Amino acid sequence: MQEKSVKAKSAFLKKMITFLVVFIIIPVLLYLTWRLDSKKYYITSVILIILSMVPFFLRFEKRKPQARELVTLAVLCAIAVISRVAFIMVPHFKPMAGIIMIAGLAFGSEVGFFTGAISAFVSNFVFMQGVWTPWQMFAYGIGGFVIGFLGKTGVLKPGKRIPVAIVGGLVILCLVGPILDTSSLFTMGIEINMDFVKTTYMYGLPLNAVHAVATTITLFLLAKPMCEKLDRIKVKYGVMSEE
Amino acid sequence: MKDKSMDKRDRFSEYNPIVNLIFYLGALVYSMIYMHPLFLAISFLGATSYYLTIQQKKAFKLIFLMFPLVILIACINPIFSTGGNTVLFYLWDRPYTLEAIIYGAIGGATFGAVVIWFATFNYIMTSDKLIYLFGAWIPNISMVFTMVLRFLPTYKRKLRGISTARQCIGKSKDSGKKKERIANGLTEISALTSQALENGIVTADSMKSRGFGSGERKSFSLYTIKKRDVIFIVVFILIIILLAGCGIKGGMDASFIPQVSLQWNSYTFAGALLYGTMLFVPTILNVTEDIVWNFSKSKI
Repeated sequence: MQEKSVKAKSAFLKKMITFLVVFIIIPVLLYLTWRLDSKKYYITSVILIILSMVPFFLRFEKRKPQARELVTLAVLCAIAVISRVAFIMVPHFKPMAGIIMIAGLAFGSEVGFFTGAISAFVSNFVFMQGVWTPWQMFAYGIGGFVIGFLGKTGVLKPGKRIPVAIVGGLVILCLVGPILDTSSLFTMGIEINMDFVKTTYMYGLPLNAVHAVATTITLFLLAKPMCEKLDRIKVKYGVMSEE
Repeated sequence: MKDKSMDKRDRFSEYNPIVNLIFYLGALVYSMIYMHPLFLAISFLGATSYYLTIQQKKAFKLIFLMFPLVILIACINPIFSTGGNTVLFYLWDRPYTLEAIIYGAIGGATFGAVVIWFATFNYIMTSDKLIYLFGAWIPNISMVFTMVLRFLPTYKRKLRGISTARQCIGKSKDSGKKKERIANGLTEISALTSQALENGIVTADSMKSRGFGSGERKSFSLYTIKKRDVIFIVVFILIIILLAGCGIKGGMDASFIPQVSLQWNSYTFAGALLYGTMLFVPTILNVTEDIVWNFSKSKI
């Protein structure tokens, strides 16, 4: 009985917070940006990004994850980061997004988002933190989330590596890359108009294409063996099997 | 993660992380918002001087990189932004205006100042400080974060082991065609994954048997709040609020298109004074430390 009322209370709180964010904080932010004229886009966009990441992290905190789950997540993030570090000597080859997508594919969208966001954050301790950090966290998180979602709904199967590799590359080209380009659009701090927007995305396109190819190669070569390993952990130890 | 073996002691980073965080929030947000050249100059000088006291000669590399960047953005901006009254010439039938150049330079300088602030941020805000600041709010995520940081050097070592072993059978990621190198490198990552996952389970079971999750978790930290920290927290917050006030009163108003018009009133100068006071605190701390140190050394 008591548990029920606690649950109802927390559900009510959740609704209230969602209501507050969607109907009050975001409109106020947008209004302020509009009033304060250009150039404050960056700050508004970062606040929006952080607001959109908060629910993921809060849900993770609320769930009180078990030790095995926590360590497995940390392992996945560390491997994604180490893959970014290990391939420094091969120019233009960035496998991190691929590894994040594999994590999403094996363990679901939430784990994909988490791995992406945390890996982007931690890898910037090795490279450099900057104005781009929240954007990278968001972009890689979304990449892992989308693949995880497609995997859960059965559109993508780890066994069929060609569709996985192609879809992974497309997600980088059409979603993750443009999100990262948007960050450079805002950080330059100069007036934003259609010409500038077009040029930024056009300029970003070849770089995103290279990144997409790297991700496709990573997924093509690793999706099957790595997913088998992750599934084995699921079956053998029951880690995150309720997902 | 980088080897930050102290070229020099940095006084500001010895203050409580809360002081550091409030300082950086204020410095970064206001650097991005205020386009008034006076405030930009203060921010830029504050960032460069602090970066210089931390990195000495090494700092020049980044600082000198900023000047061509500002010029580049200043030259590119008029191509996209054609507003402005003073037309210098026509490029592809579009006006290339002086105001757009100035606006571009302001944007570039903002970007430069923020990049240099972040260069110092990387040096000051180490991962243990972030865990100290946010560990209580998000215990599980900071636990994952800590573990990832711990795994990185371990995995690097393990990866080297795998790499060496595979070199013996002629599958190296350091030589050969690019295609082979990528394939070999990825196989190494895959091999590392098997090891890491199994070890992770052992770690987790060990954690559980030692009582993980059985009670409230506290994290170890070296930081305490001293009197000087409280003083700085209060002063910084006060300055940040006053600066916001000056901004609302229009002291930092600056517009560049269609023509350059800058606000110069008492709020501008009061704001500049406050802004300068805050942004030069780390530099002053480091410089006075130097002077005191040299002075006491000469006494010996």
